[in-house]
Amino acid sequence: MTEIWILVAANPAIDNLVSRGRELGGQLVAVVAGDRSCAEAIAASGVDRVVWLGEPGATPVEARAAAVADLVAEAAPRVVLAASHPAERVLAGALAGRLGAPALTMVSSVRLEADAVIVTHATFGGVAEETVRVEGPVVIVDECGSVGTGLPVPIEEVTATAPPTLTVVETRMSSTTRVDLGKARRVVAVGRGLARREDLALVEELARALDAEVACSRPLAEGLGWLSRDRYIGVTGQHVHPDLYVAVGISGQLQHVVGCRDASTVVVVNCDAKAPYFGECDYGIVGDLAQVVPALTAALA
Amino acid sequence: MKIVVAFKWAANPQEATVAADGTVDVGRATLGISEYDPQAFDEGRRLADATGAELVGLSVGGPAATSSMARKAALSRGLDSLVTVTDPSLDDAAATRTGAVLAAAVAQIGDVDLVLTGDASVDLGVQLVPSVMAGLLGWPAVSQVTALSGTPGDLRIERNQEGGTQVLLASGPVVVSIAADAVEPRIPGMKDILGAGRKQTTELDYAALSVEPLVAYAVVGRARPELKARQGKVIDGADPAAAAAEVVAALRATHVL
Repeated sequence: MTEIWILVAANPAIDNLVSRGRELGGQLVAVVAGDRSCAEAIAASGVDRVVWLGEPGATPVEARAAAVADLVAEAAPRVVLAASHPAERVLAGALAGRLGAPALTMVSSVRLEADAVIVTHATFGGVAEETVRVEGPVVIVDECGSVGTGLPVPIEEVTATAPPTLTVVETRMSSTTRVDLGKARRVVAVGRGLARREDLALVEELARALDAEVACSRPLAEGLGWLSRDRYIGVTGQHVHPDLYVAVGISGQLQHVVGCRDASTVVVVNCDAKAPYFGECDYGIVGDLAQVVPALTAALA
Repeated sequence: MKIVVAFKWAANPQEATVAADGTVDVGRATLGISEYDPQAFDEGRRLADATGAELVGLSVGGPAATSSMARKAALSRGLDSLVTVTDPSLDDAAATRTGAVLAAAVAQIGDVDLVLTGDASVDLGVQLVPSVMAGLLGWPAVSQVTALSGTPGDLRIERNQEGGTQVLLASGPVVVSIAADAVEPRIPGMKDILGAGRKQTTELDYAALSVEPLVAYAVVGRARPELKARQGKVIDGADPAAAAAEVVAALRATHVL
């Protein structure tokens, strides 16, 4: 029977991977590098088997990548799935290296044939799409989804020895609550067009009037640090698919747009009539955001 | 003791053209050091100065990756020397191939305790190359790193992780991906650019690295991704209130609001 393996570092939200595996058919085996609570959540998320590496202790979970790669390489599955989180990417990359297998991201479809796996995925940051035929194992890094539900299966514990060269000496939790933009129905995102940090208040007021989450393009989170990193949308940030996406002062660079292309309706506000985003929007207003954004808020009242 | 900065000489896909059949042409796009890599150079220089290590740049790619422009761009960013591995087959190579070649090159360079990278390449953006390389070297990989201190072999690593930050201690060799916001990248000055010409570049022979053959795969189809059909109604905001009212009315009429 075909086996599909799912690599889990520490995040049990894998229902999208479980559905992907179910579509392919065969037995779903999750290998968990995180702690017991993570393994337990995975065991009740609709997979057929859970292989757990035991408590990680002071070892960061991704330092167990070699142990995970050993286990999976021995089982020799045709398809391996991992969520697109940083630690899961470390597991996925190490396994791809071990197997010499292609590692594919931004995947839209996976199909099994008798002697090959057929995968369609976006390349070059999303500007193009290609379909590849892989005659051997393939590692797929995919959107994770939420925590799934299913009948609990037993947890099979294996002993994993990680190289003791990497240890966690301190963990500091942030005081701000993490936002999950992936589930937001409405998002107001702001970019470099915002001249002053004080003007963020205008954007926040619009978001309140729309009952929307506030998000941003990369420079505002990384570099300026005006918003937290978990609010940054783009290739290396969050991917969102809201009903309404309002992009304020964002030119529409590909690296940003890739993160929100699935929005049902897109509204763009920008002072530059030549901004590429106007070519990819439903409604656009060419104007100064300091005037247009309060006007939008007022129009919603 | 050596610190390697693994970087990519890449085209910005924003400037790529995609034909109707999905073929990507980056021929006219500007090539440069991938947008998220300069932080790795700066962090590497700082650490090399603090510890007396040698800072070696490493780039794998098509023939353009060892052009005089590419060498100068890299060597003016604080490297002591540069190593390149180029081959026509490595142009736009997939993550597993690039990671495997980097790992082989790091082994060949020798005496390396730390490899620094950016957190994604500007062109492919796959974010898997550092972990493929680490996996094949048998080293751990840490991503989203914001600060490094200590010495390679006894390195304190601070990184972002979901919900906060974490401090790790690495007592052995490690691959570290620097988060784009870790340091404000320095712009090379005239002195750096002039000095670049005097630094050494070593071209490693790709065939001699004998990278293991990879699982066979072939591209069997290409397409331009289907974009959602959009209304494309752009209005002049000279009268902000009128423009806002018009857009809000349209959103209500289409039941978005």
